[in-house]
Amino acid sequence: MKTTIITNVFQMIKQTLGLMGCIILLTGCHDFLEVDDPSGQISHETVFEDHITATAATTTMYAKLRDEVLITGNFSGLGAQMGLYSDELDYYGAPGQPIATFYNHQILASNVLVLRTWNSAYNLVYMANTNIEGLEASQALSQDLKNQLLGEALFIRALTHFYLVNLYGEIPYIKTTDYDKNRLVSKVPEHLVYEYIIADLLEAKNRIGENYMSSERIRANKYVVSALLARVYVYTSQWENAENESSSLINNTSLYNLEIDLENVFLKTSPAAILQLKTKVTNQSTTEANSFVFTSGPPPSVALNPNYVNSMEANDLRRLHWVGKVTNNSNTWYFSNKYRQGTNLQYSTIFRLAEQYLIRAEARTRLNDISGAQNDINSIRQRAGLSQTEAHTRDELLQAILKERQSELFAEHGHRWFDIRRFGMANDILTPIKTSWQTTDIFLPIPETELLMNSNLNPQNPGY
Amino acid sequence: MPIFGRPDATIGPIILHALTFANLYKYLLKYKLVPPYNKVSKKKAHSQVFDDVGAGQKLKQLYHFNQHKTMINNHNSVRWRRIFGCNLLFLMFTLSLTAQDILVTGKVTDGNLPISGANVLIKNTNSGVVTDFDGRYSITAKATDTLQISYLGYTTVTIPIQSRPTINITLQEDATALGEVQINAGYYTTTDREKTGSIARITAKEIEKQPVSNPLAAMQGRMAGVDIVETSGVPGSGFEVKIRGQNSIMAGNEPLYVLDGVPYDAQSLGSRNSSGLIIPGGNISPLNAINPSTIESIEVLKDADATAIYGSRGANGVVLITTKRGKKGKTSLNISSSTGIANITKKRDLLNSKQYIALRQEAFAAEGITNYPANAYDINGTWNQNHYTDWQKVLIGGTAKTRQVKASVSGGTESTQFLLSGMFQNETTVFPGDFNYDRITVNSNINHSSNDKRFQVALSTGYTIENNLLPGTDLTSNAYKLAPNAPDLYDDEGNLNWENSTWTNPLAELEGKYTNITNTLMANSVLNYKAFKNFEIKLNMGYNNAILEDNRKIPHTIYNPAVGLNSSVSRSYNHSGKRKSWILEPQLHWTRKSENHTWTLLFGTTFQSQKSEAFAIQGTGFANNKFIENLSAASTLRILNENNQEYNYQSVFARVNYHFKSKLFLNATGRRDGSSRFSSSNRYGNFGALGTAYIFSEDLNLSWLSIGKLRTSYGITGNDQIGDYQYLQTYSISDFPYDGNIGLQPTRLFNPHYKWEENIKKEIAIELGLFNQRISLSATYYNNRSSNQLLNYALPGTSGFTSIQANLDALVENSGWELELDGSIVSIPNFTWNTAFNLSLSKNTLLEFPGLEESSYANRFVIGKPLSIMKLYNLKGVNIETGLFEFTDYNGDGLITVAEDRQYLADLTPQVFGGISNSLHYKNWTLDVFFQFVKKQGINEFFGTSATGTMSNQPISVANHWQQSGDQSTRQQLTTGANPTALLAYSQFTLSNGIISDASFIRLKSLAISYTLPFSNHTRSSCRLSIQGQNLLTFTSFKGGDPEQGIGFLPPLRRITLGAQINL
Repeated sequence: MKTTIITNVFQMIKQTLGLMGCIILLTGCHDFLEVDDPSGQISHETVFEDHITATAATTTMYAKLRDEVLITGNFSGLGAQMGLYSDELDYYGAPGQPIATFYNHQILASNVLVLRTWNSAYNLVYMANTNIEGLEASQALSQDLKNQLLGEALFIRALTHFYLVNLYGEIPYIKTTDYDKNRLVSKVPEHLVYEYIIADLLEAKNRIGENYMSSERIRANKYVVSALLARVYVYTSQWENAENESSSLINNTSLYNLEIDLENVFLKTSPAAILQLKTKVTNQSTTEANSFVFTSGPPPSVALNPNYVNSMEANDLRRLHWVGKVTNNSNTWYFSNKYRQGTNLQYSTIFRLAEQYLIRAEARTRLNDISGAQNDINSIRQRAGLSQTEAHTRDELLQAILKERQSELFAEHGHRWFDIRRFGMANDILTPIKTSWQTTDIFLPIPETELLMNSNLNPQNPGY
Repeated sequence: MPIFGRPDATIGPIILHALTFANLYKYLLKYKLVPPYNKVSKKKAHSQVFDDVGAGQKLKQLYHFNQHKTMINNHNSVRWRRIFGCNLLFLMFTLSLTAQDILVTGKVTDGNLPISGANVLIKNTNSGVVTDFDGRYSITAKATDTLQISYLGYTTVTIPIQSRPTINITLQEDATALGEVQINAGYYTTTDREKTGSIARITAKEIEKQPVSNPLAAMQGRMAGVDIVETSGVPGSGFEVKIRGQNSIMAGNEPLYVLDGVPYDAQSLGSRNSSGLIIPGGNISPLNAINPSTIESIEVLKDADATAIYGSRGANGVVLITTKRGKKGKTSLNISSSTGIANITKKRDLLNSKQYIALRQEAFAAEGITNYPANAYDINGTWNQNHYTDWQKVLIGGTAKTRQVKASVSGGTESTQFLLSGMFQNETTVFPGDFNYDRITVNSNINHSSNDKRFQVALSTGYTIENNLLPGTDLTSNAYKLAPNAPDLYDDEGNLNWENSTWTNPLAELEGKYTNITNTLMANSVLNYKAFKNFEIKLNMGYNNAILEDNRKIPHTIYNPAVGLNSSVSRSYNHSGKRKSWILEPQLHWTRKSENHTWTLLFGTTFQSQKSEAFAIQGTGFANNKFIENLSAASTLRILNENNQEYNYQSVFARVNYHFKSKLFLNATGRRDGSSRFSSSNRYGNFGALGTAYIFSEDLNLSWLSIGKLRTSYGITGNDQIGDYQYLQTYSISDFPYDGNIGLQPTRLFNPHYKWEENIKKEIAIELGLFNQRISLSATYYNNRSSNQLLNYALPGTSGFTSIQANLDALVENSGWELELDGSIVSIPNFTWNTAFNLSLSKNTLLEFPGLEESSYANRFVIGKPLSIMKLYNLKGVNIETGLFEFTDYNGDGLITVAEDRQYLADLTPQVFGGISNSLHYKNWTLDVFFQFVKKQGINEFFGTSATGTMSNQPISVANHWQQSGDQSTRQQLTTGANPTALLAYSQFTLSNGIISDASFIRLKSLAISYTLPFSNHTRSSCRLSIQGQNLLTFTSFKGGDPEQGIGFLPPLRRITLGAQINL
């Protein structure tokens, strides 16, 4: 009796299961669980099936650089932070702020700005990598567009690592989006980082087009890649390569010219501009203008160091055009007046031709092309209304180049700091003026939480 | 004499006199139930009445109507039953005269009172009689026959006649009478006797005695293991519900709500941005759309056996809400109206002006400040120091008025029943100003079955409109902090008084209003077809649609006019949330019964789809505040949020249930779930449970033990409350436009591998019924462990993002005991007294958390401790010498540091909670008293306070403060803010266990007295008057206001309502 019931039950179960199976098959259960993308979000594959969204994913990287990563003109950027860190800027903001520790050289490994710089930079690297992966897998985009966008992503990846290696020393070079690898990644020596940067840039140069994507110089083309390559080569003492790359820009006079009128150097129409970042809202002034310019004293946040300003030659036109001044009673404060408030004619300039002249001058000096180096220096001096350089020897020329870079590139994305570090002058220059300066300050600390979560990033940089 | 006179009301008196057949016939004739007398012979009339199908049905209806009325008017219906029984008896008697047998007579009683309407049958035949209103019967039978006497709710008795002419019978109340009550278990029903799982239940009986507007409020304290806290006393706000503790560290801990078989998403559609300052967390409970008076029962499924059939959504328990259905019988109309008042339950004891001014003067003197600062308006003479305002009274001490009108019509025939009900409710607030919450609900349902009963259809719909107008900001914090001598709210001209810009008038906040309008449609339908014997096909369909639109206005008038702002800074924040979902659940049910074995099989599948949308837009700058309603008049518009989401869900589920000899029960349930919340590789999961029950009393035969049952269950359920699309690798539109292109950046670090949390539930319980079920008792031990916890797992920045949604092998355990005791203390004619008690002891422990120290959770959790801990400084007391608060220096470095010295662990989860209810009936009076009790710690009145001596009111306990070296005191020295070490010590105090106090309480949660108007026995109409109270009294040592109060928000309200109900 019992067994028959159980047999019956099993038969019944079988039948019902069969019936239900049919129902499910008929209704196509897999399709049912596929949902549309949420509005405001687009799946990774879809982004790279359409040239508009693929382009948007690319241009967003420039927007990130403009608004929050490394070379942004606001106080999260290297222009302000490393300006304070070197001898360029003085701090006037509220005491005890995280940014004040850059000025005082009292940065701890737990500093939030150090962490923010690190995290936002690697977030941008992630974005470059996910773009690269998406573009490589894309079937729908034209080969030309794929090459252009791949070249731009590689350029951004290289640019970001370039700044990171100069800030932190040994760092990981991230080429994948696989977080299982990236969360345990190890540091690589600086020379290897540079090898990867150069490899990325050469690959980018192969792929990217010669022309800008529009009449404005707001996205990378082959020459922008060369401009960064030239800088990387000079940072790594590859003088011939540096000379070649900078020459490729300087010789292309149909595209690039040293703007003689200093008032026009930072305009969006400037022929000296190699790469600029377009403002977020049209008819808006640049973030640099908002950060550095002030109209009454004492300054609300930062000001140019008076000694720095006074080190410029008295009749230097750049002092006249690019340095602003506010006087209140007996006090005078200076600010970088390269970018102006209330104008919509400027874009934040990332690469410009004057730097290429100075790169070539440096490379030529090292290659013992004294007259070539003098010519390049004089091209810059002449525009600033100054006499020809009197430097003749290699050492004199190098000093002249450092001085010229100081006068030309101040308050631009930490050029001054990277130069004095590169020239081995940081200790000599900062010891007298920064009481807490230590020789180990040539690198920032790797963020504390980063070391806690990934011990492969040990050891911490010396001194922290 | 009938007050509610209408034609039908005369039926009662007629029937009362229909003691003879002739009278009955007259009655039937009058209502055209039989043909007129003159058309049939007198002799024939007997059989004709009996045989006439139409008349028989009417009689049946009358009888059922009687049964239905029992609940409403016991007195009347007993009489009715007696009358009917008498007439039936008369008929039986006349029909069986021809038999040549002996006549047996007797009386059926329950040992005390006669039982009328009991069936007396001759066993194995179809002949039988029904006892009359005195419990008497007479039946003609053979001397060798056996009588079988039965009555609903009593044990059936069989007695051989053995030639006896008189047999008196005493019926025992059926110990398993409870077994008759059907308990909703979701996809199937069970009974108290047969259930293998843990199911708590409240019914309309308990709900209707509480003046509450959210079903969750009606459940508070009444169910073991169910912890419900009201987040604010503001109408329309939400509740926090935890069934058997917090299972998940980061994902949702809400139970699954199912309304009439349709999952009801209880996630708020509100937005923190628009309502967060008035409704805690912007959490507007969608359950407010369910009118408690439409609820027939609420079942809470707690253990694996009961919840596993809900698979990936069952981990946090399941709340099943069943609405009332129409019942067959005469159409009845029920109208009720109530009106009431509500106030905050408890105020804090704060300083008055005299005490406050003295304290301030002393603080300045202690710091040697003789020239009071220019901004110390309270004390430097700017404000009147003799002026006193009890800000709690003025700002939150008002009386809210509540009004409610309800009406329902129900009735139906054997095959079709209907119910239509509607309610209007209005509630004002305790804040000053005109604010109110309105709610209109309309519910209907219709049930129909075919004549052969093989096909059944049920349709229910509910529609609710809620309209809530509230201040933009809760004034409670202001009421606690404002200096007691702060100026008047209004100047002489009745305008807001800014007292020459010396203060921020708290009523300015009321200029900024918050409104929300919610429309909710709930519809469901069940089709049922009995295809073969014991085999049913069922289709459950449902559709829900909820739309919430809310708006917060911030006109410039909330700011001091001296600042010189105009309407160009006025803002209006608009938000809308919409959610639509449908469900389709075809099911097969099969049962097979034999003498010893009963098999029940259920197989079903679910298709569910939900789409939700959110949109928020802010308009700023209006030419005039009059245009603030009109977004097109704003000078700038900004879209703050635009988000559409879809969630699809599909699964198959099954249940196999087996009974052996009605004493051994096995219940196996399982579900295979597919959810679009997970990536295709992890889309499906299997869940299941096995429950067993053994009724050992069947084998013991102890007279005092009516039922003794042991049950256990074990199973796995899941939790998928992690939001939609988290697994997708997507790019989001973001605020990084560049050169005319939109910003498009990776949304997150996507993890295609993550899946639901798993919750393994174990339970063992014993259930006893003693002394004829006079006392029933159950004790349950449970142990639930949640693993595979979904967390925002912190990652190094080199990964591109600093966290990822991932499953971690963290393990959370909830274990505890639940005790329930029900007793019928007194049950005599005209007086009954029932009591019910429940007690829950629970413990929550974080058992494992790999990598806790390195994770972003390092400062929140400790392994081996509950999830609800707060890490605090340990307050040692006040140093006698320095007069400063001192704390334990755990790491002994001589400093008190945030990272290392906050080692005191406070746990705010209640450890013990429960309730005790008493229900007394005496004649027409009923009294229901319910006490809730909770043992817990809470955040006290010092949380978030400014240092004592600064310009902020303080609790009166600050009187015992340090004044000079050698003072033993509980509070540190005063400071006006000029002493940085005192300020630092005070700020550390507000992060120490000094802000934790015992917040245990016993609360008279509800009290209801009702009186049913003693109308004439002849009328079926009745009127009931009642007075009900909620949160009436609270016994606690807690000083921070109400022990359940959320920080910065209004405490729950004490409510008293008067109501009248008329049944026609």
